[in-house]
Amino acid sequence: MFAQASHNSRQTAVEPVAGSTELLARISELIDDLRPDHVDLLKAFHRIQHEFGYVPPESVPLLAGKFRTTPAIIYGTIDFYSEVRTAPAAETTVEWCSGPACLLKGSLNIRRALEAIFECEMNRTSPNGKFGLRLVQCDGTCHLAPLVRHKGRYIGPLTVSDSIEWARRLRGEDGGAHAEGREALAELESPEAAQPVEAE
Amino acid sequence: MTLERYKEMWQRADEVWARTARPAGTLIKVGVATCSRVVGAEETLAVLRREVETRGLQANVMLTGCLGLCYAEPLIEVVRPNGKAVLYQHVTADKVPLLVEAAVGGDWIAGEHALAVMSDRDSGGLPALNSLEFMRGQVRRLMANCGVTDPGNIDHYIARGGYEGLVRALGMRPVEVIDEVKKSGLWGRGGAAFSTGLKWEFLYNAKRKPKYLICNADEGDPGSFVNRNLMESDPQLLVEGMIIGGYATDADQGYVYVRDEYPLPVERMELAVQQARDRGLLGENILGSGFSFELEVVRGAGSYVCGDETGLLSSLEDRRGMPKIKPPFPAQAGVFAMPSNINNVESYTNVPLIMRHGAEWWSEMGSEKHKGTKMFATSGQIQRVGILEVPLGTPTSEVVMRMGGGPPAGRKLKAIQPGGPLSGVIPASEIDIPLEPESYRERGVLMGSGGLVILDDTNCIVDLCIYFEWFAEDESCGRCTTCFAGTRRMLEILRRISSGRGRLADLELIKLLGNIAQNANCFHGQGAPTAVMSMFRFFEDELLEHVERKRCPAKVCRGLVRYEVIHHSDRLPAAQAICPTSAVVRDNGTYRIDQFKCIKCDACREQAPYAIAVMDEFEAPAITLGR
Repeated sequence: MFAQASHNSRQTAVEPVAGSTELLARISELIDDLRPDHVDLLKAFHRIQHEFGYVPPESVPLLAGKFRTTPAIIYGTIDFYSEVRTAPAAETTVEWCSGPACLLKGSLNIRRALEAIFECEMNRTSPNGKFGLRLVQCDGTCHLAPLVRHKGRYIGPLTVSDSIEWARRLRGEDGGAHAEGREALAELESPEAAQPVEAE
Repeated sequence: MTLERYKEMWQRADEVWARTARPAGTLIKVGVATCSRVVGAEETLAVLRREVETRGLQANVMLTGCLGLCYAEPLIEVVRPNGKAVLYQHVTADKVPLLVEAAVGGDWIAGEHALAVMSDRDSGGLPALNSLEFMRGQVRRLMANCGVTDPGNIDHYIARGGYEGLVRALGMRPVEVIDEVKKSGLWGRGGAAFSTGLKWEFLYNAKRKPKYLICNADEGDPGSFVNRNLMESDPQLLVEGMIIGGYATDADQGYVYVRDEYPLPVERMELAVQQARDRGLLGENILGSGFSFELEVVRGAGSYVCGDETGLLSSLEDRRGMPKIKPPFPAQAGVFAMPSNINNVESYTNVPLIMRHGAEWWSEMGSEKHKGTKMFATSGQIQRVGILEVPLGTPTSEVVMRMGGGPPAGRKLKAIQPGGPLSGVIPASEIDIPLEPESYRERGVLMGSGGLVILDDTNCIVDLCIYFEWFAEDESCGRCTTCFAGTRRMLEILRRISSGRGRLADLELIKLLGNIAQNANCFHGQGAPTAVMSMFRFFEDELLEHVERKRCPAKVCRGLVRYEVIHHSDRLPAAQAICPTSAVVRDNGTYRIDQFKCIKCDACREQAPYAIAVMDEFEAPAITLGR
């Protein structure tokens, strides 16, 4: 009933594939029941990413064979979607919401602070490879704006100070370069010292 | 035969629903949806279940959807055996034991967390739910089941009148169904405002088979989350709408394309489709009527242009989601080059109501030209973030200022962005216009899909336009030069202005780019400059202030402000401690800010608001330094 092929770029292109046998076997297994022209390519990406945390480059030729198209088209499709990763995410990835509600409530300030603390730009990994910042789109949890997400937890509404304290704790930093200010602060024993607001 | 099978199904469903509607013991409903999940509703549910079990209470705990009061989540509702029901707000897991003691035990109104009573009249010192400012004036038709039924239970949906519309439709000829939808005056809720009935007629008249019916649930507009709520709180409504649509247009296969950022709606839609299939409401020979229809939920992968109708088609075809060139229109050659129809979630979900109650009942609501209700989401600088459903034609101010509560105390409303980054901005002075496509279009703005984002006087319009242009540039598919390069140029110019290097010639350049963008293929490119154009129209003074005087009145644009220590205060050590770049330095007991290190993140001013001030970068430097 749905058998028409509509892509003029479609061809059978099964070529020898580089990569470890186990990996290739696992990917093949994951995409085994999928067919071209059945809205299955997105499903393939999700399955592979769910398994490995990203879509390994080795899967491109396999997908091309499966979906009767060229590796270039598969790679172009992977590249098009921002939620499909081609490399594993950093061990600790902080997701920063880019939505307008967060923006209006000062999320850019939080972004600058996080970039400074993790020493990396948005969508990059820190020099030691342990921390990453990722830009995510608004999913309508705007009552927590401005927010960041970490391991599926939503943290907000944040002030810039909250986010700095939180990020430093995540880094395992207690005083560092700011020891002088912290000492002075301890003397004052200020009751207003910022308490991070966390919501699960 | 169809009717008999439905009656049988309804009776079974009613027995299940009766346990919820007329519970024998106490019933506790916990709203679990994306908005409440992120503030811990699942933990609340788990603790509540444990608590009820360990204490051996005569109470049932039930999961339900979202009432739309995002600002008060997590919400739980306690229904007493005598029918009295109270809604509690902000019930996080740690508050559950206390609440159970008070609410299920003796006193039925447990102090500070009680929000409202679920009845028509105020009682026990609590307001009725419908008399809350947020709820008063709302007409809940699409949202009738949201927060009332269990979204994972098809029986709840059927018992409350679900699939009645489908049964009525199956008893009519497809053309009659289309006529009924046309008569109601329903238009597409996704933003284009094109008649749904007419669209269906195009697909019905297409000759080739198979035909596809597609639901655009790729609600990509940031700040808009009404479709999400419908899918996770009442998924069967969409399933029924699509089956009716399939019958009316003689379609064979349906796809619901949900964006990747919505994992819970995907989960609940898949469950709903499975349940409908188990009941014989999907698949071969639906309810013995001879009509067959299949439905599949497709999860996107994070692309805004896939929300464009032809972009979505490309995405379904296993490739980059690039919008196609029209004609051919989807009804002639859509997905897999076969006749297709695409509607928004809200368009489909209105159809079961039209079929159930008739077009006349449906079009009672709304204004003279625009019938029915529309859902809106409020976010940004507003006191009550949530989801509302109001008749079309309701004044914008009613929704934003009264129901939403307006900007936080002490701030002034500045502007509203009505529906997505491509929709433009209207200023506070125009706030009384009705929520209708025309009144917005007259002002060069689109009403869009219903995500109202509110700006107040602490926000800068240039800053917001930079965001919109960045978004348009980032999400451009790359087909048209006017779009991918035009938005890039626009973004560069706006960033230049916000960094203090704007020049008067830039203004003409922006207008030129805005005109050129109209030549893009899809609405993504055409709509990209809308916000900038409304800035010219309504906020020219503020823009000129940026360009001519190099000053940002709201003190937001990073290149136009500078942080300085202007007083001494005990809070300065705290400011020094918080600074992520060690830019607050102390020389001989005096604090100052190292301008080379400062990244202008505002943390120090939060810590020491009296001592540290935001100055205009291009004014005389402050001389009073902290001692």
